[in-house]
Amino acid sequence: MKRLFMIALAPAAFLAAGCAELQKMDMNKLSGGRISNNVDLTKVAKGVKALRKGVEEISESEEYYIGRAVSAQILGRYKPLNDAKINLYVQTVAQVVARTSDRPEIFKGYHVQVLDSEEVNAFAAPGGFIFVTKGLLKRLKSEDELACVLAHEVAHIAQKHGLKTIQTSRLTSAFAILGSEVAKNYTPSQLTQLTTAFEGAVDDVVNKLVVNGYSRDKEYEADHSGALYAKNASYDPGAMRSFLERVAQVESSGMSLFKTHPPAGKRMAELRAVDPSASYRRSTERERRFSAAVAL
Amino acid sequence: MKMMKRTPLVLAAAALLAASAALAATVTVLVQETTLRKRPQFFAPSAGTARLGQTFESEDAVEGWYKVSRGYLHHSAVTTKSVHLGSEEGVGGGASVDEITLAGKGFNAQVEKSYGAKNSGANFSAVDALERRSVGESALLSFLRAGGLLPTGAAQ
Repeated sequence: MKRLFMIALAPAAFLAAGCAELQKMDMNKLSGGRISNNVDLTKVAKGVKALRKGVEEISESEEYYIGRAVSAQILGRYKPLNDAKINLYVQTVAQVVARTSDRPEIFKGYHVQVLDSEEVNAFAAPGGFIFVTKGLLKRLKSEDELACVLAHEVAHIAQKHGLKTIQTSRLTSAFAILGSEVAKNYTPSQLTQLTTAFEGAVDDVVNKLVVNGYSRDKEYEADHSGALYAKNASYDPGAMRSFLERVAQVESSGMSLFKTHPPAGKRMAELRAVDPSASYRRSTERERRFSAAVAL
Repeated sequence: MKMMKRTPLVLAAAALLAASAALAATVTVLVQETTLRKRPQFFAPSAGTARLGQTFESEDAVEGWYKVSRGYLHHSAVTTKSVHLGSEEGVGGGASVDEITLAGKGFNAQVEKSYGAKNSGANFSAVDALERRSVGESALLSFLRAGGLLPTGAAQ
């Protein structure tokens, strides 16, 4: 009976012990004399961790610093709109849809800036930074449409589309520098090499965001996810389609509105239907505050 | 015979113990700051604040939320991976992604400063300004309530 009880409890005891207990085990006995008990197993475990290799292994804090530098480049090219009321309103709607996204918590939260530009565009930098042009806001008809546009940008961040544009070679070189057990501060040589890798990574993201745009697949994915986030926040997910319809009408006359996005007609064709949530209802207050804030 | 009757009970108890050990996890906060919630949903009342690097023992997970002694933490704010933070020995490429975040290594403020010195066109002061803009919990709740966007049962 006692033996049976011991056998049954063994898995639980093993789980409870965990890896922290590794160093207390008699490894010499367990390995049949092949491993000495003088070896510090915690150090061995730490030493065998593989070097970081790709985009998925960029840390939360590194993503934030890449995003800050990308944002600094965008704000070096576009003038920020100096209008506290509209910036606060857009920031509030962004925080609402970010909470219902796949990644509600991010290193230092989501932040939005309206750009003083007549261009119709929006950008999402890694780390939670979102930019919307004044020209785009002028094309919107409701808070629900604004929520869908912002949710589309949140989706790019949640799915790390910006980070995925960074060439792996840049990360490999940065991770290799970091592979040599960096102390509290970098040496001048390490800092120079890291800065070069960082600069390359930032350039990759800026070129994709501002010049070339994401691939069509990523845009369609962000449209769908954005509609879902808007639905989760009790906004009308159909507002994504109604906005794209108006953009498509303008584009049918030969004018291209979104410089770095696929044509709106193609985005509509790819957009899957998303029904509103059970808690969705129209609101005169949403209409009122949208008109009051977005009076451009 | 008596022993045979008790065996399934003992096995069940052992399985339960093993299962609870498997569910229990140490979670470490990976974002600068996050709110502990009294219920597993955003906009539920706050039960306190958790900061980067703080660890909690979680005995359960409910729809993306870890239950800890003081409340609930959202899964996107934490990691369940084992994290070692040795400031004396430093953190290098042999460290995990999460250890890099907690140690503030990798691409960090020091690298950003060096980058800023080389790229005079980068407008970091405008980034600092936009980061100061954030909507607090009570203002966000009022905004949701007024706009008919508050999820059922939240913030009661």
